[in-house]
Amino acid sequence: MLLTTSVGSFPKPDYLIKARTRFSRNEITEEELHLLEKKAIAEVIKFQEEIGIDILVHGEMERGDMTTYFAEILEGFGISGLVRSYGNRYYRKPVILGKVKRNTPITVETFKYAQSLTPKPVKGMLTGPYTMMDWSFNEYYPNRKDTALALAEVIHQEVSDLEKAGAKYIQIDEPALSTRPEEIDLAIAAMSIVTRGIKAKTISHICYGDFSKIYPRLLDLPVDQLDLEFANSNFSNLNLFREPKFTKEIAVGVIDVHSHKIETKEQVKANIKKALEVFPLEKVYIDPDCGLKTRTVEEAQAKLKVMVEAVREVKQELGIE
Amino acid sequence: MIKTTVVGSYPKISSDKNVPNLRNALNQFEQNKISEEKLEEVYKATIIRVLKEQEDAGIDIITDGQIRWDDLLTPLARNIEGCEINGLLRFFDNNFYYRKPVIKSKMVFKDFSTLEDYKFARANTAATPGVAPKSLKVVLPGCLTFWGLSLNEYYKDLMSFGMDYSQILKKEIQRLDQEKVDYIQLDEPSLCFVPQEISLLKESLRTIFSGIKAKTILFLYFGSIKNLVPELFDLPVDIIGIDLVSKPENLSFILEADLKKELILGCLDARNTKMEDEKEILKLIEKVSMKIPPEKLYISPSCGLEFLPHENALRKLELLSSIAYKFNKTGV
Repeated sequence: MLLTTSVGSFPKPDYLIKARTRFSRNEITEEELHLLEKKAIAEVIKFQEEIGIDILVHGEMERGDMTTYFAEILEGFGISGLVRSYGNRYYRKPVILGKVKRNTPITVETFKYAQSLTPKPVKGMLTGPYTMMDWSFNEYYPNRKDTALALAEVIHQEVSDLEKAGAKYIQIDEPALSTRPEEIDLAIAAMSIVTRGIKAKTISHICYGDFSKIYPRLLDLPVDQLDLEFANSNFSNLNLFREPKFTKEIAVGVIDVHSHKIETKEQVKANIKKALEVFPLEKVYIDPDCGLKTRTVEEAQAKLKVMVEAVREVKQELGIE
Repeated sequence: MIKTTVVGSYPKISSDKNVPNLRNALNQFEQNKISEEKLEEVYKATIIRVLKEQEDAGIDIITDGQIRWDDLLTPLARNIEGCEINGLLRFFDNNFYYRKPVIKSKMVFKDFSTLEDYKFARANTAATPGVAPKSLKVVLPGCLTFWGLSLNEYYKDLMSFGMDYSQILKKEIQRLDQEKVDYIQLDEPSLCFVPQEISLLKESLRTIFSGIKAKTILFLYFGSIKNLVPELFDLPVDIIGIDLVSKPENLSFILEADLKKELILGCLDARNTKMEDEKEILKLIEKVSMKIPPEKLYISPSCGLEFLPHENALRKLELLSSIAYKFNKTGV
């Protein structure tokens, strides 16, 4: 009970950031970059084991943007020119130019490598079809629905391969889901294809949004566990989940990943206890709000340490192991 | 003849690596590697390039691309006493974020730069010998949108906010009108989502635009006009701009309405790189042109072009121009 985990991304160490830049300038080979990615993954696995995290992630050391990564490997996608997201920040978007196909497994090798380093479970980590559709330009499929469902078939193939490779937890993130409440049925239909026949525990992370518009319909998303943010809104959305009762497992975000301030143990314990007022103990997992890649390595490590300590003390106080 | 225009925003960096790059300049300025003067040069060069790209593409009514604007609200929020700027929020259903204004006390007009920005654009809109310079449009956020996207910690209600906000905009728009701006546009995407506030908007527009000589525009995007008709076409503006892409049903409401206004048809998708089929768009324009004469009709992208990469935004402009040319040539 009260198992700890994280949402997926870890900050990249300096040597890897430099290597990625050098690779983009053709100054190092793909093999050289790959070796450094594996080194960074090993470091992240070791760190999580050392501080006592229960369900591990590989930290997404090989990934940049969570949609562009898949778009660059899947057939049918191109990558756009730069688009501004806010301020002076720009990114490239996937462009769907033709029928989307997966010619080779995308994340399985990296998963197998990460899992080979630890007896603790490592999560398979994917971006969901609804988000891939919403965050891409589409020049091929006639409408959003066809796009999302086509992507779902392809992502299902990857989920299936991850399960065959031994993944016991497979996470399919849908951060875009809270953006258009009127499309929740489509997101549910797409996820049904993705998790069809899968026995591994499935999880979906959805970013902060107006959940009042999609709850309780959200409980129909065909995954075993929802991973939601609470710390960044100070748990102001918690009451929404009291009635109707939350029927799935829930990974509760107790750490704000957008703040430089390291939470105190007391703050995190208070957050955990707030969550336990609404969600049944046996269904609760504890993690940070979202991926950690916007923090420095030191901040991410400090935040995870305090999270694990807080959970340990809460479990003692509740008399559970 | 139908005319072409844009909604307002334009990509700030070019796909051409040989022109001054605002993104790099801003990064360098943050790191103290270049001076403020040098950064300002890059802003100016960018605006001049953006004006020229619209002109070269054949667009009739252009803007300065809102190059100096991080988002629709920040430039005003920074210059209204009583407003502060807070954290990032998603802009409607886009993967674009704006900074949320927080209304802390009674709003008082400080000084906007829209007048300076307009003068700069005017001075840099090339006049071809024998041909008048392009028409320029200034764009500002309307009161429902400013209210809807802000956090209010002061005003009792929308109405009291609306009165102050309208007075502030009125002053600025009067200054612009004295400079003989051709077109003044208020963006009101929020109206689609709070249709019940249309009468309040009507009052606001009456206040803001009374006595203004410039042609006035109200532009709606991202939402349906289903619950706004027929009052929408009674609002005290000269031209109504409507996004026909995000909610294609908007076309049917236009065709059913008693159209007393000029119309801008936002008919090219400014949020997707896919290029439209000219024939389909011509058919759409034809339908509307049976209800209102071509000289009261304009076509534009569905919203600001900044949601697209530069090369795609430019292609959309060229497509728009080509469509208008074909429509006007066949004299439909």
